[in-house]
Amino acid sequence: MKTIKKIAGLLLISLFTFSNLSAQGYKVGDAATDFKLKGVDNKMVSLADHKDAKGFIVIFTCNHCPYSIAYEDRIIALDKKYAPLGYPVVAINPNDPALEPKDSFELMIKRAKEKGFTFPYLFDDGQKIFPQYGATKTPHVFILKKEGAKNIVKYIGAIDDNYKNAGDVSKKYVENAVEALLANKEVEVKTTVAIGCSIKVKK
Amino acid sequence: MIRLITPYYFLLLTLPFFSLVANGQQSSSKTADSFIVADPVILVVDYNRLKPIYTKENDTLYVVNFWATWCRPCVEELPDFMVVNDRFKDNQKFKMILVSLDDAEKANGTVKNFAKRLKLNVDNYLLDDIKKMNEWIPDVDSLWSGSIPATLFIKNGRSLRFVENSLDKDELESIIKLYL
Repeated sequence: MKTIKKIAGLLLISLFTFSNLSAQGYKVGDAATDFKLKGVDNKMVSLADHKDAKGFIVIFTCNHCPYSIAYEDRIIALDKKYAPLGYPVVAINPNDPALEPKDSFELMIKRAKEKGFTFPYLFDDGQKIFPQYGATKTPHVFILKKEGAKNIVKYIGAIDDNYKNAGDVSKKYVENAVEALLANKEVEVKTTVAIGCSIKVKK
Repeated sequence: MIRLITPYYFLLLTLPFFSLVANGQQSSSKTADSFIVADPVILVVDYNRLKPIYTKENDTLYVVNFWATWCRPCVEELPDFMVVNDRFKDNQKFKMILVSLDDAEKANGTVKNFAKRLKLNVDNYLLDDIKKMNEWIPDVDSLWSGSIPATLFIKNGRSLRFVENSLDKDELESIIKLYL
């Protein structure tokens, strides 16, 4: 009887473990999907629209998460620095506003205005894009490099090593990765992890 | 002074009442527990201090939940965790601990108040090791991407299960039963 219970338990557990595994998304080296998502200026945005870009700093972020808020100024700074060099920021809010009302499209427009976002801030309406990338939290960065018609994932992870204090950052992961790509060098630190707010999806 | 003290006393007096209402037929000893919850201790630690706490070689199943007061799904699952903890806490081989990932300066304010309000009657820690996230997150579990809630099930320093997701009462209980 005990064995049966254990087997049943294992089956149950493997069910939620599987749901985790299936959401793993891209690894470094994979080609990332393009998308067509509505931005806060009500225009649809795709990676393919950016003909002159050498690549992209795709950041899954949102309005409500304290980690995302802590990084807003640094995300703007990244865009100001790297968009002219060919690596613009493309921000995507992956959350379901039914679960997190602060992440509604209307409040995205408001936040983008308040902070003066210089980059497209897109809404993953229907939550189709973030699972393909394998984003699990906000903020979650994917740096892509254009190689022919493809956008190859070159870095996945955090922006830097101190969400709380921009003045006390020792490792600027995203900047280092983009600098390496601009110099046609291998990205040294290809993946990092940091605590973030889980992406809000209906169970 | 009186104005400062009064709400506190009010809270202290009402807690046992809430506990009775919430749990229906609790015994008087459970009511006494509520007084312990009324003033929880949030111990601020770095990862080097935290890890030895749940990696002891003592055949005890440690259920380590990572949460934060700003994390809605974390806060939502904690009442279930407390119900399950109540079921197993008398087992010497079971220990639940909560690890808050809030800012350290909130330990004695926001976090303590939450612990009081949600009756988080387990050992409470606040992990203050921001700059080493990229080291301790993979050390907790190699597949942890850093989203919370996340729960580690570990015995004798060997990780048995890591769930980077919310767990409901039944899921949590079935995992504990499997490894206890």
